[in-house]
Amino acid sequence: MEPLLRENEIVANTQAALASHSVESVDKIINALKESIDHISASPENTSETLSLLSRHIKEISTQTIEEHKEYQAVLAKYGKVIDKKWRHDVTLASNPDAFEGKDKILQKTIALHFICQGKFDLGRTFMREAGLEISSELQAQFVKMYEILKAIREYNLEPALIWARAERERLEKRGSSLEFQLHRLHFIQHLRDQYLDESLRYAQLNFQYFNTQHFREIRRLMGSLAYINRLESSPYADLLSTEGWTNIQNTFATDFCSLLGFSRESPLFISVTVGATALPWLIKMSTIMKEKKNEWSQQNELPVEVPLTDDMRYHSIFACPVSKEQATEENPPMMMPCGHVICKESLNKLSKGQSSRFKCPYCPNESIPTQAMRTELKEVKIFDNYKSNCLRIFWFCISVSCVEAYKMQNIQHGYNGCTVCLLDG
Amino acid sequence: MNKLNHEGLLVLEQPFIKVPLEQLKKSARTSQRQLDKEFSNLSRGINDLAVKSKQEEIRTKDVTDALEEMVGRLQKLKRKLNDIKEEESMYVSRSRIRLEHLNELTKIPTANVEAYAQWSRTRLDRILVDYMLREGLSRTAEKLAKEDINPKQYVDVELFSQSKRVEQALQKHSCSTLEFNLRLQEYIELVRSRRTSEAIVYSRKYLTPWSETHMKEIQQALGLLAFPSNTNCQPYKKLYDTSRWEQLIRQFRSDNFALNSLTSQPLLSVTLQAGLSALKTPMCYQPENRNINCPVCSADTLGNLAENLPLSHHVNSTIVCRLSGEIMDEDNAPMALPNGYVYSHKALSDMAAKNNGKVQCPRTGDVFDVSQLKKVFIS
Repeated sequence: MEPLLRENEIVANTQAALASHSVESVDKIINALKESIDHISASPENTSETLSLLSRHIKEISTQTIEEHKEYQAVLAKYGKVIDKKWRHDVTLASNPDAFEGKDKILQKTIALHFICQGKFDLGRTFMREAGLEISSELQAQFVKMYEILKAIREYNLEPALIWARAERERLEKRGSSLEFQLHRLHFIQHLRDQYLDESLRYAQLNFQYFNTQHFREIRRLMGSLAYINRLESSPYADLLSTEGWTNIQNTFATDFCSLLGFSRESPLFISVTVGATALPWLIKMSTIMKEKKNEWSQQNELPVEVPLTDDMRYHSIFACPVSKEQATEENPPMMMPCGHVICKESLNKLSKGQSSRFKCPYCPNESIPTQAMRTELKEVKIFDNYKSNCLRIFWFCISVSCVEAYKMQNIQHGYNGCTVCLLDG
Repeated sequence: MNKLNHEGLLVLEQPFIKVPLEQLKKSARTSQRQLDKEFSNLSRGINDLAVKSKQEEIRTKDVTDALEEMVGRLQKLKRKLNDIKEEESMYVSRSRIRLEHLNELTKIPTANVEAYAQWSRTRLDRILVDYMLREGLSRTAEKLAKEDINPKQYVDVELFSQSKRVEQALQKHSCSTLEFNLRLQEYIELVRSRRTSEAIVYSRKYLTPWSETHMKEIQQALGLLAFPSNTNCQPYKKLYDTSRWEQLIRQFRSDNFALNSLTSQPLLSVTLQAGLSALKTPMCYQPENRNINCPVCSADTLGNLAENLPLSHHVNSTIVCRLSGEIMDEDNAPMALPNGYVYSHKALSDMAAKNNGKVQCPRTGDVFDVSQLKKVFIS
């Protein structure tokens, strides 16, 4: 950025200087003209002399001004060169212009939802009207409601949120959300802060009972704080007064609200574009290489490079074959050998050289024949149904497949009894 | 992994910086032309006067009148220069503000800070304005620019106004064939509706000036007169094809974008493609593996857009906790519940802390004590 900023400053200075200079030059010429007019009126006999003098004078000024202009254009050209040096590649090098062909409406729907989820309802309406788009008004109303409740929370009014959470209690509980309790907790702390002892007690008696089994410890702590109601700041319960609770509850509420609607709290469009900005340099680099080989990444089934993602943008468990480093696909599924190790089918074929003879597992001393390998699915993150074994060391993939199958298979085929990894009995 | 690759992130910003430069260049050219023209007129005029007065063909009064008129013209020039000056300094400050905005990014160290989220949000808004303007959705673009983008200098709303677009592309016809193609299309439409004599007049007037460079096309165009619009004979069938209009629009667009240093495709489509591909996994299209937070998993919006895009590439396996969405690794070990399901240590201990030391499996609804969890090792 430094050279760019420097060059830009030169452009700014040159432009400012030139602009006032050329106006001055024109002024000078005007003055020269006026003087000449006076001269000629005063002494008409010298007209031709005065005129040639004027002509020379104007020539001088105008040549200089034009010269300065050329210099300015050179400065602009130099700035342009610095820009071109910084941005060597065309941004669109890695994109397929037809990637979203015929999907304009879907793209626009995504944008409209983006506006709505962000609470920009006015903008969303303008956009939908202009693009001729329709999003169910019911969904919009839901998001309007969410932002109303959020606004109330920001104004320290928990009532609307509580009413909503109570109405959605079952669905929230199913998701493992403790939103309703968190709201009550905060409401209780409000009374506590105001030092209303009776009010606090009544509120607790009225509302905490339902949550007793799940949140016993927290409730006990909240009740304990009542003993210090007059000097909470200097008590062991001072943390209850922290304002953090109020920001957290907004996030929790919005996340839960969106997820009951089947949406993520963060705009998917925002995430995709942000990831895209990170991924783009990788893809451009790759496509410059692939262009030479006359390949187009956008026409491939899989990207040629791994785009580094931050952890929070990895949403799915992924199995990459430890031998070939390739991702499992429908055609090249993960196969579990009798020893429990998993590799991809293609790697398995390569290792066994396509023969049906015995081959050694690349990760342990076990030998097996290819037909013993079993196809596994990366569907459930699950291990043994009855996980009684003391074996704590299992292969990572066993976490992802139903290991009961693997376990049974080992027992049947080899008469093993127990875990092949730690050699403990099951 | 969270460290920002500033150089890489800036790749996208080429037009952001280049567009104002193009404007500056354009106005520099304009003022240069103005000055050239006025100055040479001036010196020619004075020389004329000088010659005439030498030969005593002119009265003094006429000389002074002519000079007065020159003063008038120069005053007009001065006003014009002042206007250009104002416009130029606006583009200079726009360049400056944009460069500084990019410079701000280089000072953000990692991706997980609020400053980066804020910067990225502005970037998305800029990208959306670019998209709206290209699609001709100018009301949305203006509203978005007005409400969400601060400062205004981040977007080039005025650049897109409809009339300006066409004008600029047509002015440049020396380097583009757009004008000829438009003329040709108009001629074809006349032939299509069998207004033959009109068509011939039109061709004489508007097509023949291009004969130096487009002789072959002109001959074909006149040959068209012999064929009806439903002909199967090439190349006349192709000339009658209505999809030529779309080609024209495409050509017009790309000419216009190139003129202003804008990218040929909307930045939204460029970044979305890259982003969706980087996120896309086979799991995104399996209902039972759907993750509500994954953009590609939303089947009727981004998932649909990603359908024909390549999958992401991974050389290492990843296990994602279904409870917290966090990656399970040595620092956040997978823990097995007695029912066999595995979640991350962090997610389970958070749940236990809130829940009296009890954890609930979100899949089966079973409740277990935290002491029943077993650590699972990954190798």
